Amino acid sequence: MAGGGGGAEGEPEFQVAPMIDVLLVLLIFFMSITSSQVLKVDKNIKLPVASHGVKRDDKATAGLINISWDATTGQARYKLDDRELDANDKDGIAKELAARKGTNEKYRLLIRADRECHAKYISKALEWGAEAGIDNIAFSGLNHEE
Amino acid sequence: MRQPTPHPDANPGFQIAPMIDVVFVIMLFFMVMAGTVKVEHELKTTLPGNAETAKETEMPDEINIGISESGEVTLNDDPVGSVQDKELKNLYTQMVVMKKAAEQAKTKLLITVQAEETARYERVINVLDILALAEVSNVTFAVADTE
Repeated sequence: MAGGGGGAEGEPEFQVAPMIDVLLVLLIFFMSITSSQVLKVDKNIKLPVASHGVKRDDKATAGLINISWDATTGQARYKLDDRELDANDKDGIAKELAARKGTNEKYRLLIRADRECHAKYISKALEWGAEAGIDNIAFSGLNHEE
Repeated sequence: MRQPTPHPDANPGFQIAPMIDVVFVIMLFFMVMAGTVKVEHELKTTLPGNAETAKETEMPDEINIGISESGEVTLNDDPVGSVQDKELKNLYTQMVVMKKAAEQAKTKLLITVQAEETARYERVINVLDILALAEVSNVTFAVADTE
């Protein structure tokens, strides 16, 4: 795309073509970093801030438990990926998690809970993980305040 | 009104100036967006498990961090963070000292974060975040049964 030299008199001219090259490269760079980091979180969940945590490893397989908080009833609602869970069906959930884990020792449970959620509801999700033999647990948070 | 008819030989050609304008605007948009993008971070813990070993293992000193319902943080029952204290600097300095001591003694630093049943998740993450800052890795999370 870029081409052409300076003027014959030795006076360097303003070159538009290399400027466009640089501009497009910058554009592609900013486009890629913004689109790859878009957060895909349940809109009902307001994540707490965990600025010192490590960036989420997308490659590692993880069971994603979303815990939203209903302030009016004071109850938590659970979702495994996008599917609603019945919190009383402990054995059923544990079986499903165990099946997902299979023989993968590195399989982990990623907990995305609302900041207002009570600790006992988090503990329940950890129980399911323990029942399924998953001991790698990660808690999710945001890099900065919304 | 009569529209002016274009000259048959007129070739508008490729206009570079408006293209640069548009590209600049798009780039500015993405530059601004890049600064405000929210990235998901994670704090890793492990659940305590059973392990059968042939030889006797030396148990490290266990350190207990408590989180009360109101959000007060204690370290082995000593208060280290009030309800309003979000930065938990006191906890951080104590964690750094304990980690150094454990490294010198060549033992593991084992931390249990024990929250009350109705403690807010945000406060738990606050504490886990401070532990991540102090580079403490052996952390377990438990909920104290208040019934």
